[in-house]
Amino acid sequence: MSTHTNNPSNVDPPSELLLDLHVKYIQNLDTKKGDLEYWLTEHLRVNGIYWGSTALHLMGHPDALDHDQIVEYMVKCQHDNGGFGGHIGHDPHILSTLSAIQVLITYDRLDAINVDKVVDYIVSLQNEDGSYSGDSWGETDTRFIFCAINCLSLLKRLDDKRLDLQRTIDYVVQCRNFDGGFGNCPGGESHAAQVYVCLGTLTILNALHHVDADQLGWWLSERQLKNGGLNGRPEKLEDVCYSWWVLSSLSMLKRRHWIDADKLTKFILSSQDSETGGIADRPDHVPDVFHTVFGIAGLSLMGYPGLTPVDPVYCMPRYVIQRIGLSEKH
Amino acid sequence: EGRHGQKKQQTESPEALKARQERESVLVKEYTALKESFNEITNSKQRDNDALKVTTAILRKSPDYYSVWNERRRILKEGFLDKADDASSNTIYTNELEFVQENLKLNPKSYFMWNHRRWCLENMSKPRWDRELAMVSKYLEMDARNFHAWVYRRYIIRQMDQQEKGEDATEKRLERAQSEFDFTTAKISQNFSNYSAWHNRSTLLGKLAAVMTEEEREMVVDNEFDLIKNAIYTDPEDQSAWLYNLWLIGREDKSISIPGAYAISFHPLEIVVTFDETVRLRNSFTMSTRVDQTVVGLEGEWKATGSDPSVGSVWIFQQTLDSTYGSTVELIIFPDDVCAVRAGSKLAAATCFELETSNQDLESVPSRLSRLVVGKNTMYDVSKRISPTSGSDGTVETQKQAPKYLVTSLTGSDKHEDRVALLDREISTVRELVEIEPDCKWPIQILSTLLTELRKTVSIHSPRAKDIDDESIELQEKLISIDPLRQERYEDRRTQLVFDRETLKIIKGSRRFPEIEFADVQSKDLDLSMRGLTHIPISSYFIHLETLNLDSNSITSTRFLRNLLSVKRVILSNNSIERLEGVQHAPCIEFLALENNLISKWEDVVAGFMFWREGKLGRTGGTVKVMLGGNPVVENEGGEYVLEQRWADVGEVGVEIQWQTEEHRLAEEATGGAGGDKGDVPRRLSTVTAVGL
Repeated sequence: MSTHTNNPSNVDPPSELLLDLHVKYIQNLDTKKGDLEYWLTEHLRVNGIYWGSTALHLMGHPDALDHDQIVEYMVKCQHDNGGFGGHIGHDPHILSTLSAIQVLITYDRLDAINVDKVVDYIVSLQNEDGSYSGDSWGETDTRFIFCAINCLSLLKRLDDKRLDLQRTIDYVVQCRNFDGGFGNCPGGESHAAQVYVCLGTLTILNALHHVDADQLGWWLSERQLKNGGLNGRPEKLEDVCYSWWVLSSLSMLKRRHWIDADKLTKFILSSQDSETGGIADRPDHVPDVFHTVFGIAGLSLMGYPGLTPVDPVYCMPRYVIQRIGLSEKH
Repeated sequence: EGRHGQKKQQTESPEALKARQERESVLVKEYTALKESFNEITNSKQRDNDALKVTTAILRKSPDYYSVWNERRRILKEGFLDKADDASSNTIYTNELEFVQENLKLNPKSYFMWNHRRWCLENMSKPRWDRELAMVSKYLEMDARNFHAWVYRRYIIRQMDQQEKGEDATEKRLERAQSEFDFTTAKISQNFSNYSAWHNRSTLLGKLAAVMTEEEREMVVDNEFDLIKNAIYTDPEDQSAWLYNLWLIGREDKSISIPGAYAISFHPLEIVVTFDETVRLRNSFTMSTRVDQTVVGLEGEWKATGSDPSVGSVWIFQQTLDSTYGSTVELIIFPDDVCAVRAGSKLAAATCFELETSNQDLESVPSRLSRLVVGKNTMYDVSKRISPTSGSDGTVETQKQAPKYLVTSLTGSDKHEDRVALLDREISTVRELVEIEPDCKWPIQILSTLLTELRKTVSIHSPRAKDIDDESIELQEKLISIDPLRQERYEDRRTQLVFDRETLKIIKGSRRFPEIEFADVQSKDLDLSMRGLTHIPISSYFIHLETLNLDSNSITSTRFLRNLLSVKRVILSNNSIERLEGVQHAPCIEFLALENNLISKWEDVVAGFMFWREGKLGRTGGTVKVMLGGNPVVENEGGEYVLEQRWADVGEVGVEIQWQTEEHRLAEEATGGAGGDKGDVPRRLSTVTAVGL
């Protein structure tokens, strides 16, 4: 556990957004075929493309990755039942299905796939109690509800008669806890990522009146630690990805200003890797594309200069959401 | 998802780098070979032991490779389980459980591990749930906050509950809930700040208390308060016990008030209804009139003020053109007609308003109706009957509604005295802590929350309410100084408290406690300058105002202006406004001071005046003068002269904008226009130059 360097005039953590470096970092992700880690994360490839392309769009470099290649790849990941797997040949799952649709919409290439089948796949994952399973093996989690509702909303298919949206709202409300937060299932402890997916679901379905915004806003504002970073639940460590989950949740509750934006900005910026580009979960840690996109998205929500505005519900560029005609609900 | 917590290594020497790359390339070769085997198995649907071994090898290296878990289950099912007898099946599942167990130690947070376990247990003929419970307890020893383990624990309990089939099933379930409850007690005793344990406790307490006698419940509740007291005294900084405390004490939900309803015009009939919070319309409010002894519904549309007519606190009814009405008009708002935007708020009971329309002559209105001239419109105060109208069988419902103390069913009591006693007791406990730890924010926050609850039990005009408000404001100010990270939240709360205090004279208590109504006499002016306000909590209170002074506050949005139906002059200089919204919906506004705000873009100015004349009440002419000097937009967009021309080109007749600050304009006037304040000269030169180009 040696220290980073013995040099007393150690390089200060970055205080500006190293935008060009991050663009290069993302472009280089697919070249790391010599790293074992590249192969061990294959099941996250589709998600990774969503994370990478969203970050690029928010940084104003929508063409830094080859559109056609990506679309071709996504098409290959779709199964006959309409669902998308995490990589070519991987089993379909609702998490990768959402990512695939988000990427295709961002590149305006929905025409490349069969949308009806995607809807059928999602509907097949709806459970009687209003929840959604992640795949045919049955795991339920509020994350999957959000994937389903988010995806259907992006595809403009929330009016499908097979959906019981009221039951879904009721189920999400059952996941509300003593502290006003939301968990992954009824009785599940409040966690910022689950709060995000539950609020996202309720926002899309116009059911935010079930949420005590002052109480939950309070709980969310307490996620900010003295170092400016945000944690996901009490007594836990700060992590850049919560810059997104917490901040977007607060945005939906119209209380984004309850977080100190200057301190959070500094924290995100100091978690950048000034050698390789990319953003890590906290300073001096190894960066990855997951933390890169959520750090950038958090900065965008705070209005960091030079970044394209992001939509707090969909975590996609606002202009894309506007282009497809989804009204702003926040 | 994502790599969490991997420290960056020192930069490697070229030799170290080469060595590492060589090692990696060996590992990569191994792994890709395994993957190829796996692809072969999947493609050929191989279902034997070798196939199983391949999945084992991959999952040891890559436990989140979910497709391999899926295939493993297919192999087990089609290759073994489908042909196995009970005993063999059991062995297979048991082996699977062991396999997961080994790998779980290294990956206690892998969703797919826990899922595979569930699959085994749900398909086994004899799942050992008790063993699972012991297993998960061990994981909670290792990491008391592992939420996978807690979720799994609750899952096991549910499964065990479901399997109770005997006569004593209910009893057994309660015993189990009690045992789980005791488990959380043990965890909390080990470490008071085990948030996960407090959370789990909150899911069990209600279940247990539901079947208790009142005495037992009181004992349990007292016990809870004791436990909480121990926790907060041991560690006042820890939030879990505090939040649990608040949950136990509960919160009285708010009754929506309808401060007043008014007729604005008679041809066609236009009625405005105010609420003290934002609501959505579920059903149109019932408008009816009596024509020749028959009650007839009135046709028209209800819209909220502002650009979104489906949600708001001020609602306007416009009767369909060419319709008529009789000498009395009745408006009834039923509780189900509205849905509050704020969680928990409800309209307690139906509210009914009556309007006498026989005297439509503006000059000879009977004195019992108060009348305010609004531009060319007139607002008639509509008399209010709080009790609902007769039921279909002719009986009249009594309107007295007991206030609801919507607490957890445990501390529940419908009696006012009990509620006050509970709050007083808890408040004094917290006060002790505030004294002991004056710089700890949690006792102060909790005290503030409890005081808010206490205020709901007293009349808003009482001295007690004033004391509570004054203290609450002090507490917010203290919080701002000790917890600057969350300053804006405390400032918002402080704004609400200050606003409540400053608007006490606008309202009075209604017969239906705790609802309020507009006071009989309404002032036309209100000065709220320099109060540190960040927003306007209840803008519907301002519908009678003709002038409103909000100079030198911290207001960021002008949307509230859409509810100020009578206002002519609004001072919003020296605030933090970035864009203009809602202005075009204020029907009578004549003067709007916005100097020294943060309006920086041309679009943000234009947004406030689009379709200026198409405000909700249909302006019949009139001009508004807007003061925009001292905003960044002036410099950003080329200076005053450029903007004057540009605004003239936009052609919004009736909107006069002064881009120069009033201070400069007066200075210029005083010095005859030439030179004046030296600061002016360079700016004017630059604008002339810009135009010259």
